[in-house]
Parts: sequence; C-alpha cells; structure tokens
Amino acid sequence: MLIKTTARAALIAALALTSAAAWPRAAGAETVLRIGMTAADIPRTLGQPDQGFEGNRFTGLTMYDALTGWDLSSADKPSVVIPGLATEWKVDDADKTKWTFKLRPGVTFHDGTPFNADAVVWNVDKVLKQDAPQFDPSQVGVTASRMPTLASAKKIDDMTVELTTKEPDSFLPINLTNLFMASPAKWQHFYEKAEGTDAKAKSQAAWAAFAKDAAGTGPWKMASFTPRERLELVKNADYWNKARVPKIDKMVLLPMPEANARTAALLSGQVDWVEAPAPDALPELKQRGFKLYANEQPHVWPWQFSRVEGSPWNDIRVRKAANLCVDREGLRDGLLAGLMVPASGTFEPGHPWRGKPTFEIKYDKPAAQKLMQEAGFGPNKKLTVKIQTSASGSGQMQPLPMNEYLQQALAECYFDVQLDVIEWNTLFTNWRRGAKDPSANGSNATNVTYAAMDPFFALVRFLQSGMAPPVSNNWGYINNPKFDELVKTARQTFDPAARDAALAELHAASVDDAAFLYVAHDVGPRAMSPKVTGVIQPKSWFIDFSPIAMQ
Amino acid sequence: MSELPLSATADAALQVAPATSARGYWATVGRRILRDKVSMACAIVLLLIFVSAILAPWLGLEDPYKGSMIRRLRHIGTSGYPLGTDELGRDMLARLIYGGRLSLVIGILPVILAFCIGTSLGIIAGYVGGRLNTAIMRTVDVFYAFPSVLLAIAISGALGAGILNSIVALTIVFVPQITRVAESVTTGVRNMDFVEAARASGAGPLTIMRVHILGNVLGAIFVYATSLISVSMILAAGLSFLGLGTKPPEPEWGLMLNTLRTAIYVNPWVAALPGAMIFAVSICFNLLSDGLRSAMDIRN
Amino acid sequence: MLAYTARRIVYVIPIVISVALVCFLLVHITPGDPLVAVLPADASQELAAQLRAAYGFDRPLPAQFGLWLLRALHGDLGNSIATGRPVLAEVMRAVGNTVTLAIAAAVIGFTMGILLGLIAGYFRETWIDKVATSFAIAGVSVPHYWLGMVLVIIFSVELNWLPAVGAGPNGSNSWAWDWAHLQYLVLPAITTSVIPMGIVTRTVRALTGDILSQDFVEALRAKGLHERGVFRHVIKNAAPTALAVMGLQLGYMLGGSILIETVFSWPGSGFLLNSAIFQRDLPLLQGTILVLALFFVVLNLLVDIAQAAIDPRIKRG
Repeated sequence: MLIKTTARAALIAALALTSAAAWPRAAGAETVLRIGMTAADIPRTLGQPDQGFEGNRFTGLTMYDALTGWDLSSADKPSVVIPGLATEWKVDDADKTKWTFKLRPGVTFHDGTPFNADAVVWNVDKVLKQDAPQFDPSQVGVTASRMPTLASAKKIDDMTVELTTKEPDSFLPINLTNLFMASPAKWQHFYEKAEGTDAKAKSQAAWAAFAKDAAGTGPWKMASFTPRERLELVKNADYWNKARVPKIDKMVLLPMPEANARTAALLSGQVDWVEAPAPDALPELKQRGFKLYANEQPHVWPWQFSRVEGSPWNDIRVRKAANLCVDREGLRDGLLAGLMVPASGTFEPGHPWRGKPTFEIKYDKPAAQKLMQEAGFGPNKKLTVKIQTSASGSGQMQPLPMNEYLQQALAECYFDVQLDVIEWNTLFTNWRRGAKDPSANGSNATNVTYAAMDPFFALVRFLQSGMAPPVSNNWGYINNPKFDELVKTARQTFDPAARDAALAELHAASVDDAAFLYVAHDVGPRAMSPKVTGVIQPKSWFIDFSPIAMQ
Repeated sequence: MSELPLSATADAALQVAPATSARGYWATVGRRILRDKVSMACAIVLLLIFVSAILAPWLGLEDPYKGSMIRRLRHIGTSGYPLGTDELGRDMLARLIYGGRLSLVIGILPVILAFCIGTSLGIIAGYVGGRLNTAIMRTVDVFYAFPSVLLAIAISGALGAGILNSIVALTIVFVPQITRVAESVTTGVRNMDFVEAARASGAGPLTIMRVHILGNVLGAIFVYATSLISVSMILAAGLSFLGLGTKPPEPEWGLMLNTLRTAIYVNPWVAALPGAMIFAVSICFNLLSDGLRSAMDIRN
Repeated sequence: MLAYTARRIVYVIPIVISVALVCFLLVHITPGDPLVAVLPADASQELAAQLRAAYGFDRPLPAQFGLWLLRALHGDLGNSIATGRPVLAEVMRAVGNTVTLAIAAAVIGFTMGILLGLIAGYFRETWIDKVATSFAIAGVSVPHYWLGMVLVIIFSVELNWLPAVGAGPNGSNSWAWDWAHLQYLVLPAITTSVIPMGIVTRTVRALTGDILSQDFVEALRAKGLHERGVFRHVIKNAAPTALAVMGLQLGYMLGGSILIETVFSWPGSGFLLNSAIFQRDLPLLQGTILVLALFFVVLNLLVDIAQAAIDPRIKRG
C-alpha cells in the first residue's frame, strides 16, 4: 500500500537540497528546535490552550505549570500524575469536598513575581468566579469541562490553598493538571493599561495583550508570537526544577495542518521535527535517516454501542463476538503501517487502571462465529448494524478505511455493517445528543475516539447511567447498576492506591461486559531530523521538551 | 467567478429580438450555431459527458464507492484502472464518470433556478416600475455589493456543508445578476409600440408580461444565463473543494479534488484529473455561450 | 463632478448598512452552537448556558445586531471567540497579505490582458486573434484552484523550482521583496491572475476592435495620421471602460481569494475566512465578510467616480 516512485524520491531529495540552501539556519551557538504542529493555528498562549491536547502539549506544558503534572520521564511506564506547583495535597477527613494543597516555595513567574496562594486563587477565579475581573469566558469551556467538580479556591496562608469541590471527588488532583497558572501581576499590568468602555472590555483587552506577551512558571518563556503563523519560545534558565531546565535555547512552533506540507518541510530542512508525518512518506523518511517516534497513547478508537431498547448490541454475545472478530494486528500491519496499538480495553496491561478482566479481547474468529450462532445469527441470517462515523476528525486516525476494514472483518461473523458517514463536527455534536436522538439516524453505534488520561473522560462519562444525554457522553444509554456502584466507589476513595484499584475494577467490569468494540490506540507518530537527540516519547499525549538536545 | 459582462445593456447580443419574426429569428440562430464548428465540438463533448454520466450504471464500470487498501493510488495506465485509483483505492474512471452526475446537477441547477426566479423578478420590476422596482432593485444591489465568490462561500459556510445548501447558496448568488439583466431589457421594451398597443387594447399587466414581454426578453436573458453556467460549475465544485458542498464518499469532482490533494506528492496526475473534468465542462459551456451570443447578434 | 461624487457617496450608505445586516443575518440565522470553538462537546448544559450569557448570545437578535453595528461604527468588530484576539486587527493583517497577492496578480494579469487584447483587437479574425482569445477563454473557464494545484504539481513536485505553500520562509510577518520571499508569491500570483487576464483580454479586444472599425478611424488614416496616432486614439477611447473592468477585477481578487489562498496556505483574508467558517467563529466570520464586502463597495464607488471623471458621459445613478 505504500506507493513509492523513483520520481518522487528524486523530488524529495532535490527539494531537500535546494530548500536547505535557501533557508540558512540560525547562526552562532544558539540551538533552535523548529517544530511543525498539526494544528491550523497556534494554540492559545494565555494559559488555557485550545486545540485539544496538542494545545496543552505546545502552549500549555511548555510555558506553564499546573498544581499537578504528568510524569513524562519514561517511554515504558504509564504516565501518572506527579506533584507540580503543589508539593502535597490531601482531602479533609471530615468534609470530603475540601482539599488542602501545599504550594512549592521559591517559584517565580517569568515576569519575576512570586507564585503563591493568591496566584492560585486568582487562576481558579479566572474560570470559575464570574464576577472576578479576570474571569474570561473564552477559557472556561476548555478548562471547566476538564475539572467538572471544582467549585472554588481559598487562601489559607501564603503557601497553602483550600480547594472546594461540588461533591466528593477523588479525581480532583488529576483534573488539576489542566489548570495552568498564569501570572496575575502581569495580567493586572495589562488590565490597568487597557482601554475599554467597561470592566469586561478591559478584561478582554488585557487577556488579548497577555496572550501576546505571556508569563507563566514553565520551563519555556514566550519570545515572540505571530498569530496563526509562528510562536517562539526561549528556555527559562531559572526554572524551579533544575532537572528540567531546557537544553536547547529556542523552540519555534509552526502550524502546518497538511500532512504532506509538514513532511515536505521536514525533508527540506525547514523544520527539525514534525508531528504526525504523512503515513505514505514513512519509508522515505526512514530511508533518508530521519528518526521516527511513536508510543501508545491514552486514546481509544472504538465503536460505542447503543443500548437503547431494540439495539442488537443489547445481547452481550453479539458485543463479545464483534470484539473477537477483528484482526487488530492485521489492521496495524496493513492499513496503518504499524501506527497503532491493538486495543484490548481502554487501558492496556501495565496501566494502574487496567485491572484483571476475565474476557480476553483478541482475534478469535471461530469463537466469535460460535457466539453469533448462539445469538441466533448465521451465514444466512446476518445481523444488520449501522455505524455513524465521519471521513475525518481530530484523533479519528483514518476513519473511513478503518471502518471499511471492520466492515469486511465483521462480515465473516455474520454482521452486515452499514456506515452512515457524516461531517466530523456533526458526528461530535451528535455524540452528546445520544442514540435516541433523531440525529443518530437509526445508528446503533457511533465512532468517536476519546482521550483516556483522566478517569472521568476515560470511563465515567460513558459508563455511569447518570451521564446519559444530555448530561454527558453516555451516548448509548448504558445503564448498569454495577458500573454506577463502582463509579461511586472510585470517586469517593481518596487514598490514591485504593482509588486506582477501584478504577481498575471498573475498567475490568467494562471489558468483561464488552461495553465497546475496542479497536485501536493511536501512537502519536512524529518524525525528526537525526540532529535532534534525547527524545523520550512517553505513553502520553504530551512530551517533555526539556531533555531534548540539538547536535 | 467574475467573468460577468459589465453591464447588460452594453452587450450587443442582448438586443431585443423583433417581436414579429420571432420564429424565423430563432430558426436563423439555430442554423448559424449549427454551422459554427467550435460550438458544435463543445456541444458534442458536453453531450458525451452528460450521456455517460446518465448511463454510468450501465457502462460496466467498477463500483465507484468500493475501495481497497491494497490498490490505493495506482497510477494512470495501471491495467484494470486506466485512470488509476484514488486515496481509498477506488477506480478513478468510474468515479469521474459517476462524478459527472452530482457535479453537473450542482453546477447547472442553480443557474436554472436563478433563471426562473431572476427573470420573474426582473420582468416584474421592469414592467411595473415605481416603488416595486425600487424595492426589488435596491435589494438586488445589496447582494451585488458582495463579490460572488465571497457571497457563495459566506452563504454555504453559514448554512453548513451539503448539496442542497450549496445549490441554495449559488442560486442566491445568481438571482441578483439575472434580475438586473431582466430588469434592464424589460425596461427597454416596456414602452415599445407593440406593448403600448397591447395595453391600449385592454390587456392586463399579467397578460402583457407573459405574452408580450416575456417572449421578447427571454432570449437575451437566456444567453446571459448560459454564460453563468461555467461560473456556476467552477463555484459549485469550489465549494465542495473547500468542504462546503458534497460530503464524502459521494463522487463529485470538486470533492475528489479536495480529498486527492493530499496525494499530490505520491500520485500527482491522478490527483489533477477531477479538475480537468471541471475545466472541460466549463470551457465548453463558455464557448457554447459565446457561439450562441454571436449567432444571436443580428448585426453580423 | 463634486455633486455627482457626493450623490454616489450618499447612495452607498444604505448599501453599507444593508450589507452589514446581510453579514450579520447570514452568520446568525444558521443552526449550530455559536460557542462550539470554546465549548467542548462534553461541557455541561449549565456551563453552555453560562457561556452563552457571558458572550451575549442569549440576547434577542435585533439587540445583538444593533450592538454589533454600533461598535463596528467605532471601529470595533469584537473579539474572535476561538482566539480572543480583536477581529479588526486579525482581518486587517490578513487583508494586507491578500493585497500583496492581488497586486502581484493584477500586475501580471492586467499587463498580459492589455497586451493580448490589443494584439487580438488589431489583428481581428487572424490566427493571432484566435490564439489570444483562446488564452482568454481558457483563463475565464479554468477552475483556478485546480490550476493552482497543477502548477504546484509541475513547479514544486515535479520540477522543484518553487515552494508549494506558505508566505515566506518565516511566515508573512517578516515579508521582504527579495527572491527568498518572492518565490512564494509566484505560483499563487500566476494562479490568481488568469481570470483577470482573460477578462481584460476580452474587454480590450472588443474595445479595440470597435474603435478601429469606426468610420472616423478610417478617416484619420486617410488623412495620413500615423499608426502611432491611431494607437493613441484607441488607448484614449478604450481607457475608461478598461479601467473600470480592471478596478472591478481587483475587487474580485480581494474578495474572492479564498480558494487560491486555501490551495497555497497563503495567510490572507480568504484563508482567515476559511478557518472562521470551520471553527464557526461568528465574530470573526461576520467581521471578515463585512470588511471584504466593504472593500468591494468602496472599490466599486471609486471605479464609478473615476470613470465619470474620465468620461463625463457615463455618469450613472
């Protein structure tokens, strides 16, 4: 499937030569890393990035820190939550909605002002307290939805804050990785200078100014910013975590939404690193000495089943048969050129939330056929299922070819798969409307991929009965008292190890119930010039740019 | 997009045909166009494309929807796939021929709709005159104040992707243009003798518009409308190219151009094929419209 | 002349207000959540309602329109929902890039068009005329976004002479008029120039032919007037109409650049419009459409006035 012609090889070689000559590198000893992102625009720079987790990767975790962070130091171990700007935290014994966070001493923002409890309260208020001057509705959506239970913050002393949740929620420390700490003093400076008819207009103007000249506490500082075209970050030599002071001087981020343009830019030396190179160009890149990195990501490419009355997926034998009928290794080695990890659940073995499911998801066609026959289907009595999907979309990998692959695979197990292909945005919106909504168009499964970093997003919103539309993404109206019970337990277990055990139990139960057709995990492929060294790609959506060096 | 005659009245072809000899006039026009080699060549090419699009299911082509991962992006001339395969391994020849169905409909239908609506509006405005004329023509002016590409994209961008929406958007783009032409030729005829005569003999405004005006202005408006088909084809495919028209997996030239664009580094010439189809249809319509225009130009 | 100019300007005011209304309605009558850019699909309903209120989308449409128009009159088109940046600044920056492209295309297209048109007009009904008019008809019939793709295939993919996309090695911010930057402009400018080239050719050809076939030209020639004199006569008589056509073409290039800018990732107003559409960023969308439409209205006005100034017979309105 990888088409390669000599003409093309020649083209790329020639392209590399001439273009490299046309763009001389930055002179002198300064080391610069230029990255082509997949985003069409620079993610927002004011603290709460847009553009999903790619936004957090490039303009969140680089310039900012949160109270808690992700361990990105290993390519083998699962990436877990570790202390960030908070050194320790605990929930109140008497009132499980109150948490105390001890802050890291001696941290300063890029503008030199100290990080303290006031700064934390200020940053919580920017998205949660509507009458605060810094309240910014544009940052609320991406932030509040990722920490659905946080209600307010209160200063205890300079280095201690108390956070309150709407209900007891042991996931709070994980959620808090999404709340980045921006410098209140810097914002205040812009606010006072801002012109505007009212406080709201001044606040907006101040945020717009802050986005152009931002200050966080992160290992990278903003150097220059051209909207939609270019963001330059320089290393923060005074970063509080000396082990994570960047090795390179400067990082340039360029939005390059087209895979081919991105790949050509890497080949021509216009950039040193691209996210998601064009799959058809991988052999070319390897052959020309470029380095490829990929690792399992907390991401699932599923079919999410409808469980409303009359859905064929209400029969667990059918759900299990579908899971056993797909040759995921074949999909990986064929269509996806190695760029996926076969999914046997939301989390794979080794992950703290994996648990011990008894139903083993693998390719076993005879077993699948047997289950289907037990359920009353056979070569002459096919089961018709309809899947809603899109032709493209963020995180969707290659939705049409992959669904066609499933269509062919499942035909062997007496399924007649019909695809309802709609626009990505519509598919995403319908996800929230549920299987009963007319927008589902009679589909009994939907194909929206999901990120699985946080237990709420990975499990709870799909499995808990209370999360059925319009509340959240339990699209298929799963209503399983066992899941509800396990969710409740996990949310109210505050000892981290015990909480993880409860989540593992929930995950194992969902696998045993074949709650989804689990197909693939994305691997976040990236390609870079051989001059880039020290790259560790963790099992995460994110990556730590600090240990990276340029030769 | 912008190849519209500047002002309709300045155009020689838009002269009003003499009412008395209408049948003889059209016969002459027909004879003249049949003698025009370029027009006839274009007509034959268009006919071929139309007929093959209509007869596509009976031509023994591959299934235009059925792809295969193992035969992606085959080159032109691969045995079994004379025009290669697309990014999902679907046969390009089949998709180009089937693609004619949607592409022609979304390109031509807006002009037909706009012709009907615009002619009615223009004749009413031109014949009735007064406040009604002002109301219609000032509204038309507002839409005229947008460049047509911008207007088409703004409307279909607002309505969202879809075949129906793109037809609506293009119709809205063309109605003001045709209305202007219709109004201006109608104003030209309304005070002519034969209209005065009809009015004197007691004919009502509807009768006059239908019987006396329509027949005399239709030719001019029709020629103008044919010159819009090429623009409409390009714009309709352009909307799909931007992702604002047809949705996958339907075969349609603009959309095919869009999805194949990612393959230009791998299989460039297959990626360029759908655009060549749009070009062929568009240039044929333009030449045919030019031929019709000069055939109708009495002065020559 | 002054009175005419004043009358034209007054006449434009209601057009401008109606154009603003159309922009606003287009963007607001449509289904879909205006906050999709900042509100994830998994946000709670409560949060959605709260944000709608914060952005003022819960107010009745006439009130929203009034407020928007009032602010627009003060030069404030609001802030983009997706990025929070002021719309006017975003649009003007992008328009600057589109102007660069349009001017380059105009230079190519108008020069070629005038040359081809004059030659074709002079040698009417000869093979030279046929070649020139074929060029013109191809120019107006070609789907220019496809032409752009074909040029990229030839000059970037196959020959590798010119870059395929972008506006300079370091983005448009550091634009300079040297070859390192200009090479990015070549393909998009040529692509943009084909339609104006075709139209100007056809216009100039028709004008030249008409003027040359007039009786008094024969008379002038009979009187022994130099061919250069005849030529000057042609230019003088063709100029007003040709200029008007070119003015309008410039307007179309500014307002209709979206397809070409998308093909070449040229960071102009069309590219901005494209991303505003797909992000459903309403303030940015209506602001971009408004600014582009206003450019077109103003250009039309200037063309009218200039035309009347050159040739007082054709005062309109």
